[in-house]
Amino acid sequence: MKPLYLVIVSLVCAVAAVAGPASAGPADITVTSSSIDPPVLMKGDTGMLTVTIQNNGADPVSIKSARLFGSGVVALSDSYPSVGEIGAGNAKTFTFTVRADAGEGTFYPMFVLDFVNAGSLRYPVPVQVEDTPLSISVIRKPDAFAEGRTADITIRVANPRPNAASGVQVVPQGTGFSVTPSSAFIGALSADGSGTAVFNLTPAAETTAAFQVVWRNGINTHTADLVLPIPFGEDKRQADPLITNVEVRPEAGGYRIVGDVMNAGLESARSVLVTPGAPATPIDPFRVYVVGTLDPDDASPFEVTLRADASATEVPIIVEYRDDDGNRYTTTTMVGVGGALAAPPDEGDGGIPLAGIIVVALVALGVAGAIYYSWRRK
Amino acid sequence: METGFLRVLFDPGHFFESRMRDEPSLKVPALIALVVGLIGAISAALVANLIVGILPAEAQAFGVIVVGFSVAGAVIGGFLTWIVYGIVFYLISMVFKGEGSLARTLEVTGYGFLPQVFGGIVGAFFSYLIVSNLTIPAAGSPEEIAAVTENLTGMLVTDPLAQVAALAGILFLVWSANIWIFGMKYARNLSTRDAALTVGIPVGLYILYTLITLAGWL
Repeated sequence: MKPLYLVIVSLVCAVAAVAGPASAGPADITVTSSSIDPPVLMKGDTGMLTVTIQNNGADPVSIKSARLFGSGVVALSDSYPSVGEIGAGNAKTFTFTVRADAGEGTFYPMFVLDFVNAGSLRYPVPVQVEDTPLSISVIRKPDAFAEGRTADITIRVANPRPNAASGVQVVPQGTGFSVTPSSAFIGALSADGSGTAVFNLTPAAETTAAFQVVWRNGINTHTADLVLPIPFGEDKRQADPLITNVEVRPEAGGYRIVGDVMNAGLESARSVLVTPGAPATPIDPFRVYVVGTLDPDDASPFEVTLRADASATEVPIIVEYRDDDGNRYTTTTMVGVGGALAAPPDEGDGGIPLAGIIVVALVALGVAGAIYYSWRRK
Repeated sequence: METGFLRVLFDPGHFFESRMRDEPSLKVPALIALVVGLIGAISAALVANLIVGILPAEAQAFGVIVVGFSVAGAVIGGFLTWIVYGIVFYLISMVFKGEGSLARTLEVTGYGFLPQVFGGIVGAFFSYLIVSNLTIPAAGSPEEIAAVTENLTGMLVTDPLAQVAALAGILFLVWSANIWIFGMKYARNLSTRDAALTVGIPVGLYILYTLITLAGWL
């Protein structure tokens, strides 16, 4: 039986020699590429990490499992428990969901391939985490806000991050104002790129407006806020109607005030009206004088008629105007009617009093009667 | 209707006809002119007193003088108006070959002034109404006095009561003119037509001037 055993052992060895190893070793498997989307994570971001391997050997390689582990950037998805065989020259891709749990920096989660015939491939995959948000700034706003006056506000959003941001939009938030549009979409911002959004904001009261920038880094949504205080103040460019060259002419029953109204501002004053204010009472024929539009540095004459108490030394002259948005403004100028001026008597509407007409009529009748009588007696 | 010289108001024809029988006398006409002047002085005093109120306190002492001059001016003005009218009528009637002395003309002109007494009373009443409603501030400088006086003048001219007073004055002047026509007819021995022209031309021109002023055309 010994020769038989020898033959069997020899055959087994021969078969083993002919068959060779069942699979090639780890040396033939290489990681050809790795990537992550988004390319740069922010803290707390979730990304998709993809690793591609290739069998560079002449024989298939059996892979038991593939997994990813590490700290800072952790895998959320399960590992690949049974990968199977990868043929000679073939490539295979593994995808893991990862999350950046730590702070900023570059992390190296470990990609591990376990081979069937023992041994494994360990490959550290670099993942960059940077927490820099998009920057937001106001590049244009009025010098001062005013109640009911629409102000143009231009917001610039810039991307200082090393990767692109997508779905960028700006949303105004707050109370005490109305704004158009309600949000502005900028879209994708490449690295170091910027975009602008213009809003027409009309405050109803002194308030604070917040402009929130919303964007996505991969599938992760982020926000950044810019707070813009809206205090009321005097606009340095607004129209400034002034009354000059005033002449007060006392008339029976009131005063006639003539003068010039001039726009000393830098913007046009529209629908300019000039009228006497209380306690003076406007009377015909010029209760209100309509000037119309006054461009900057333009002047227009005006004329108003009014009645005031005999004790009044000055009366207010009100200039009412609107800006381009239709907001109404008023300015008041006190005009002296006392001092070197005599106060006219109050004659109601300024017409001839009824008693006077009656007296004249009676005199006329008397004179006519006397004349008639004298000629009849001739 | 024998009521003395007041009869001239309603029956000037017969009044002057009877006056022609006597020598010309200027006593009553002068009295009428004096009364007209005195009544005019009331209006003048009211306005002068108003203007005195413009003066600063230290210049109020001149107020009495100003009022005095105004009163004197009004009284003298009454006489002057009478004489000027008389002379004008006398000169115009010369065109129509009028006969009669200047004294007679002045006499009838003076009687014809009688309605101006009533006109003066009405005018003074309106002046009082206008002045009592005015408030005049004190002025501290000659410039301010000039400014107040200027706008006061404008105000008095445009005041409806002043216009009413002016219209009433025209009516009384028409009444006087009617008397003057009869007076000139007898004083200068004119026809009714010539007497009417003698009186109507100057009086008409004066009324026309007054109406134009009232209308604001001047």
